Amino acid sequence: MVPASDRPTTPASSSDLELLRSFEPVVCYTKGERFYPTDVEGYIKESSLWEHHPDGRDEILVRQGQLTPEKLVEPRPAEFGAVRYIRFVEALSLAESARVLADQLILRRKTGETFHAGIGRLARGGILPRLLDGLFSLSFLLRGKVSAASAAAAELDYHESFSQDRKYPYYGRVVRQNGWIMLQYWFFFYFNNWRSGFHGVNDHESDWEMVTIYLYEQEGQLVPEWAAFASHDFKGDDLRRRWDDDDELKKQAQSHPVIFAGAGSHASYFRRGEYQAEVDPTLPGWMSGLINTWNKLWTGTLGQSAINTFHIPFVDFARGDGLRIGHGEHQTWSPVLIDETTPWVSQYRGLWGLFARDPISGENAPAGPMYNRDGSPRGSWYDPLGFAGLDKVAPPPQLGQMLADNCERITRQQEELGNSIPRKAAELQEKGARLKGMEGNPHLAKQYLALEKEINTLAAEVRAHRRQLQENTALLEGLTRQLERTRAGEKDDPRAHIRNLAVPDDPSQVLRFDRAAETWAAVSLSLLLFAVAALIFFAPGYTWAGLGVILLLFVVAESFLRGAFVQTVGRITLLLAMISSLILFFHFWKWIIVFTLLAMGVSLMVNRLRELTG
Amino acid sequence: MARRKKSDKKKRPIAVSVIALAIVFLFLIRLYQVYEPLIRNNVFRQGITGSLISGWKLTTLGGAMLSSATYLVLSLTGIVVLVGFLRLRRWSWVLLMAWTGVSLTISLVDYFYSQANFAVMASNVIIAFALNIAEVQRIYGIRREDGSSL
Repeated sequence: MVPASDRPTTPASSSDLELLRSFEPVVCYTKGERFYPTDVEGYIKESSLWEHHPDGRDEILVRQGQLTPEKLVEPRPAEFGAVRYIRFVEALSLAESARVLADQLILRRKTGETFHAGIGRLARGGILPRLLDGLFSLSFLLRGKVSAASAAAAELDYHESFSQDRKYPYYGRVVRQNGWIMLQYWFFFYFNNWRSGFHGVNDHESDWEMVTIYLYEQEGQLVPEWAAFASHDFKGDDLRRRWDDDDELKKQAQSHPVIFAGAGSHASYFRRGEYQAEVDPTLPGWMSGLINTWNKLWTGTLGQSAINTFHIPFVDFARGDGLRIGHGEHQTWSPVLIDETTPWVSQYRGLWGLFARDPISGENAPAGPMYNRDGSPRGSWYDPLGFAGLDKVAPPPQLGQMLADNCERITRQQEELGNSIPRKAAELQEKGARLKGMEGNPHLAKQYLALEKEINTLAAEVRAHRRQLQENTALLEGLTRQLERTRAGEKDDPRAHIRNLAVPDDPSQVLRFDRAAETWAAVSLSLLLFAVAALIFFAPGYTWAGLGVILLLFVVAESFLRGAFVQTVGRITLLLAMISSLILFFHFWKWIIVFTLLAMGVSLMVNRLRELTG
Repeated sequence: MARRKKSDKKKRPIAVSVIALAIVFLFLIRLYQVYEPLIRNNVFRQGITGSLISGWKLTTLGGAMLSSATYLVLSLTGIVVLVGFLRLRRWSWVLLMAWTGVSLTISLVDYFYSQANFAVMASNVIIAFALNIAEVQRIYGIRREDGSSL
């Protein structure tokens, strides 16, 4: 194994804190971000502790100003279905809400950093996703949500708390499993204001984000091999990037991976940019089944490209043009070590912020690093290898030995098969000859059947061994090739393991949208509603037909602005043709069947007659 | 042995001929629709005798003239599309598909609110499905060889 000389290393004897410091990331936030990593203890002290009971009651357990990390983890029995949660912003009256919103405006004016969305997310999706987006917004009338005043109050509190204690902590943890040394960096935020601050999916009190660096040991040194950033949209292998993949994994001073954090969401991205995070509305099973059948007909039979009509586009702005924290920057980290013995990590299983009673959980606060919202253990904590799909990957120094062991085992198996196959094949032939000798002797019928059964079993065994011999040969070739490459220090494609690569929006694609497209995106939904209202008022007799025609016109206008006119017109016409076909079949099914049968009969006759006449 | 020289021209699939026939059929129907209102209102025998507009509304004769003129435009457009289509022009595919979409919309509205013309509807359905055939789309430059849309 050739040592990776291009990699930074650190002595294996380093303390956990030294290890964490050696590879701590540099996080780049977006201009206009309001919440940065902060310490949990200050947050706890500012909060109250609550319990939501299954009968709908909310009970206060510890009041604001009295809560401490020790009180948080005090054992308190609870019934099944109860949700324990911290509440950072207390319920606000109308007057208080108005005041905090006004104070937020003043604060923003004072700090100066404002966020500009640029090309809005609505212009990046079609009219149907926009319609669904409108419905998604309306769904907050039925779902629980965190109010804008809560976000404002959290922003003011964070600003005040940060002014008193200016530091950016992360909570670090070092785990050793299966030859890997994993450095986990957990970041805690007072609030996730993605929806209220950046037109995103959700808002919730508190936020936890995590990145992991995977190291291996070689000649007394620890070498980084992978980095994985936790994400809502990706899982397993798709979460990690190899250290030498410089396009995907940027580094500062070779040792510090660079993270681009989503504005408000704080989600971690490998590349700077604006990401379209798509939300798939949860549909009932029968509707999903219908959509799947339709997609099969649409793409398979009609050869059209798939349409993700039910995806609602949201943009996560990870521009990296704001504050930067980490090695070599003006702002640096204050690390804090955590593990299972840290009480607030292991002994508090509740939510770290308001339980907003949102049934799809988007607005409910997250749980801590060790647990999921339902109190079950969090995969990224107890299985950091499996979390990034690394449980099946050996550390590079062990890979060569593992490949060699595999080769040796298969070679041995091949030798055994090479010896046993001719022996069994000969036995099979000998038994076949015996069976032949039994033919024509009715008094040997019983023995004949028994021997025939034996032969069948033996034949299947010989066949299976021959197949295995063949398969092993191919496998051995592959393993030997891989072993040679590993010994020579050759690396395979660093992205071979990735199935879904997170790619930011293409700027050239974005630039195609001119002012007209943007304006249209902003007003089209309202125009559509006005047109429908006018239709109902002026032509009530033609409501449904008019609605269909208006929708078609809007879709065509939209496609024209998006440069997809030809494709859209084709799709719409095809849809109309399918509806018309059904109508025609409904009225003329007898004629259609008769005509089809006649056509088939004529075709069959022509073929047969052609066959007869040569 | 005589060698047959390969033609450089794109080969025209059967679907193109089917579409062309359907266009001709639709053209004849439209032509009938041009003359029918005029005959009904004795325009050929007596000429335009009455006024076409009464106040803000069209008179029966005005309606017939407008209907006839509309169908005349459609018939002529059909001829232009047919010529372009037989010459395998991309624009003719787009125009025909758009026109078929409009025609199908009108047929469906007619079906739900008055009297549908099933012959026109069936012709349009045939045209729409034939235009969607991958081979046809490749010939007209709508789809790439690998099947993706241009």
